[in-house]
Amino acid sequence: MTEYEAIIGLETHIQLNTETKIFCGCKADSWDDAPNTNICPVCSGLPGSLPAPNRAVVEKAVRLAHAMNADIQTESYFDRKNYFYPDLPKGYQITQYDKSIARGGHMDVPMPDGSTRRVGIHKLHMEEDAGKTRNEKGRRLIDFNRCGVPLIEMVTGPDIRSADEAAEYLIRLRQLLRWLDISEADMEKAHLRADANVSIRVKGETVFNTKTEIKNVNSIEGVRAAVEKEIARQIQAYESGEKIEAWTLDWDENTQTLRKMRSKETEADYRYFKEPDLLAVHLDEEWLSGLLADFPELPLARRLRFIEQYGLPEYDANILTSERSLSDYFEAAVAAYGGDAKRVSNWMMNDVLKLLNERGLEAGALKLTAEGLADIIKLVDANTVNTPTGKSLIEKAHDSGKTPQEIVESEGLAQVSDDSAIRDIARQVIAANPDNVEKYRGGKDSLIGWFVGQVMRESGGKADPNMTRAVLEELLKG
Amino acid sequence: MTELCDLSAAELAARIRNGEARAVDALDSALARVAAVDGRPGTLDPGDLTADDQAKVHAFITLTVERARAQAEAVDKKLAQGEIPGPLAGVPFTVKDIFVVEGTPSTASSRMLANFVAPYTATPVARMEAAGAVMLGKVNLDEFTYGSSNESSAFQPHPRNPWDTSRVVGGSSGGSAAAVAAGEGALSLGTDTAGSIRQPAAFCGVVGVKPTYGRVSRYGLIAFGSSLDCPGPLARDVTDAALMLNAIAGPDARDATAVTVPVPDYTAGIEDGVKGLRIGLSPDFFKLTYYNHESSEMEERPLPDDILAAVMQAADKLSDAGARIVENVPMPHTRYGIPAYFVISRVEAASNLHRFDGVKYGYRTADKVDDLRAMYRKTRGEAFGPQPKLRILMGMYVSAAQYSEQYYQQALKVRSLIRGDFDSVFDASGEHKLDALLTPTTPTTAFPIGDVYGDSVLMQYADQLTVTADHAGIPGLSLPGGLDAGGLPIGIQLLGPDFSEASLFRIARTYERETETAAWRSARPKVLG
Amino acid sequence: MADEKITPELFAHLVELAALELGPEEGEYIRKQLNNQLKAIEELVQVPLDPTTLPASHGVPYTPAISAELREDLHNPFPHPEAILKGAPKTEDGHFVVPDIPHEDLK
Repeated sequence: MTEYEAIIGLETHIQLNTETKIFCGCKADSWDDAPNTNICPVCSGLPGSLPAPNRAVVEKAVRLAHAMNADIQTESYFDRKNYFYPDLPKGYQITQYDKSIARGGHMDVPMPDGSTRRVGIHKLHMEEDAGKTRNEKGRRLIDFNRCGVPLIEMVTGPDIRSADEAAEYLIRLRQLLRWLDISEADMEKAHLRADANVSIRVKGETVFNTKTEIKNVNSIEGVRAAVEKEIARQIQAYESGEKIEAWTLDWDENTQTLRKMRSKETEADYRYFKEPDLLAVHLDEEWLSGLLADFPELPLARRLRFIEQYGLPEYDANILTSERSLSDYFEAAVAAYGGDAKRVSNWMMNDVLKLLNERGLEAGALKLTAEGLADIIKLVDANTVNTPTGKSLIEKAHDSGKTPQEIVESEGLAQVSDDSAIRDIARQVIAANPDNVEKYRGGKDSLIGWFVGQVMRESGGKADPNMTRAVLEELLKG
Repeated sequence: MTELCDLSAAELAARIRNGEARAVDALDSALARVAAVDGRPGTLDPGDLTADDQAKVHAFITLTVERARAQAEAVDKKLAQGEIPGPLAGVPFTVKDIFVVEGTPSTASSRMLANFVAPYTATPVARMEAAGAVMLGKVNLDEFTYGSSNESSAFQPHPRNPWDTSRVVGGSSGGSAAAVAAGEGALSLGTDTAGSIRQPAAFCGVVGVKPTYGRVSRYGLIAFGSSLDCPGPLARDVTDAALMLNAIAGPDARDATAVTVPVPDYTAGIEDGVKGLRIGLSPDFFKLTYYNHESSEMEERPLPDDILAAVMQAADKLSDAGARIVENVPMPHTRYGIPAYFVISRVEAASNLHRFDGVKYGYRTADKVDDLRAMYRKTRGEAFGPQPKLRILMGMYVSAAQYSEQYYQQALKVRSLIRGDFDSVFDASGEHKLDALLTPTTPTTAFPIGDVYGDSVLMQYADQLTVTADHAGIPGLSLPGGLDAGGLPIGIQLLGPDFSEASLFRIARTYERETETAAWRSARPKVLG
Repeated sequence: MADEKITPELFAHLVELAALELGPEEGEYIRKQLNNQLKAIEELVQVPLDPTTLPASHGVPYTPAISAELREDLHNPFPHPEAILKGAPKTEDGHFVVPDIPHEDLK
């Protein structure tokens, strides 16, 4: 049987999380707004209006370009891309064409099998988004709220070889975008959109065959599914001798099917020319160095360092670097704890993440500080509180804003390690349960656990379990 | 007695400030003049022209009387309360209908925008109103500014020259020039892309200033050639033009191409004379290029004698006043101004007109269409006149991927050469060290209505002496320089380096003073009787 | 005419690209004018150019000293967005409305 390989390139549109649109003072985010309420003369293309470029967009583009190992251009230009479409109010899109803010670049994407795929970056430029349209009963309704939302278009080389690799690239890109505070990168909200160029070839060949372009996919799983489907379709077409045509395909998330878009819409000479309403974007030395001065360690580098420096398993390192504030939190907790990093990791992975997930929070929003978490682990280590109490302190500290020590003191949660207090409770428990005492003395040793549980309960969970067991064993001997 | 509407803006504003006249009196005077000379405003369905129509100016498309009255009353109220209402307080002005003004029809003289009521106001208009000036209304122009005679307006009757109503007003700021000349508002806000302020100013015997590109914000100016368009003043005298530029110039956060260069008081040194200034004359502005339809060749012709004489006479006056006249200044790329303009302006215009698609504002075809593309075609086919269509199609042709290098990129390089001509003669360490060039504004005086319209090449060449300043971005000023044998105004032009408006005003004002007593100065447009 | 650069076929293509619809007479007039204009434009091709001559997007050289700073990222809403929608030829439920663009299903 012939083996095939897929050649995939991804064209991503990244919606920046700026306060305002790229060329006007309207909000960038109008997710919750009624249609056509977040518009102005500029973004709705009224005659006479002019674009006023947003500094923050340039700054975020520079940071992304740096993270993608691209060459940042100190002089770049905006161009007009001319075409008619009802979601494009000016009849041209302001974008960057031949002199964009960055050239080249790549991202090394770790794959689940342990290999790494270097994905080259062909294009990285700033542009404005178009509006939204939807078909209804034979006509098209248009909302311009999204017009002028700042985007970075980033196009990879044909370097991706499977639907899973495509998904993995997007997962890593999403992580990076959030890490650098460039985009919320929520695909469901179209903050991160991916079009996939897909072709196939017989494995071992070096030709590039005709490719199709899949548009309108709004989840990473959708990309995986759509690309998989298209690869299968192309293989089938190839094997049955059909010609593969350069179609543009539309992904329907609901039915999980691909539809062909009308070819008219995709045929064009955009007649690019420099946008005369805008000047060159000059990145002077001071601005540029200021932007890159406090550039953070990137997630993939940090992941490797966690493995090497802290001896974490890859699994832990992956999760702890999935989000920047979580990884910062972990490192701060390790530093404050001073002991085994894996022990901190266990607390993070089991208990801190559980709370974050339940509350839908990021680590940066926790009221329990990393130092506080380290203190909790130390309290448990020192037997000041037992493990269940320690775990309960995480939530209590977050909810109350108090330090773990304050909570332990105010709620009297410190373990009872006082021999006489435990002895008193143990005597009461023994006196109240003559049947079980008899059974234990008759040889049913396992009942000791039940007795310990009773004492713990009576003490409100504060009794030191080891001491309790010792006292009980002594008293039950009779 | 001189009517208020015939006073200069400076004099009128002074009288209003002093309490000698009220802003509402100035308004009423201007409205009375409009009623007397303007005739019916331009409309989409004018019917036949009557004999009366042919004797009227027709500067206006829309009179905004209520808005004007409210503004005038507000000025008077401020004055009564002892407040200082701005340097142009109470001065009536008109606005070329290519600027949007909130709540008013902003038509661009096109069927496409005939029903468009703008929801915002252009920066230069807002600045005029902030200076206390009172907007009388919107005046006519060539459709989307595409022309040099106003005949292409979709709103007819188009303006007619106040000096001779069988002649064109020039264009595209023709309504502006005609209104100012006829006393229908002391000032007018126009735009210049190839000469659209200076050429009609010359034809109508008024002062017109194309400021340095970026000196005045374009926000709210419906774009033609975005890299060329300059808003600027039209006025009856040089001082008024300077006063108006004071009001409208300056940076604007809404226009990224508006420069941050500080705005001087343009009236401050205006009476200081020209002693020591170096003013150049270039033979390249004394010959004209035309397309000969018979031979299909470009031909050279001399400048008409009257016009050449006016320029030389101006040079003598300025020389008498102490300027140093430098002759034989080479400006070798002047003749390529129009060919380069044919390319650059069309590419930008085609793109700028993309937004008119029947979706968001203005015209949409009344035909029932169930296909989007058909809606676009019908809407644009029905609502654009021949001038926009010509510009769109040429723009599409010369910017197509396969021709762009040959035409568009080449034109932009030629533009560099045109700029280079100016740079070298204005260079303070160069051979000529000019403060300004003195040239004719136009190849002819106002031509008869119907003579040129229809020949798009000939019409474009009407801008051949003004267009290079637009390519180069430098400031240019046209001012009255006498009358031709037929009694029509001749315009003379001053061109200077970037941001030299103040010295152009100074030179122009000196010439004005030197010719104060000339016989032609007392001539008045015929419509004023 | 043999030397016409814009032939009727090319012209028809341009008209389609430009989303225009022209009557036959109007079209022929415009096509002729365009060809005349191209004769003037041809002058450009003959202009000798130094390879160092750069295209000028604007006449005025925009040095940083005279160029405006980029806009700060601050929300500045337009006071009456409803007025924009009000000017539209056709609206419904707060949307601009145009005829449909149909899709073709892929088997």
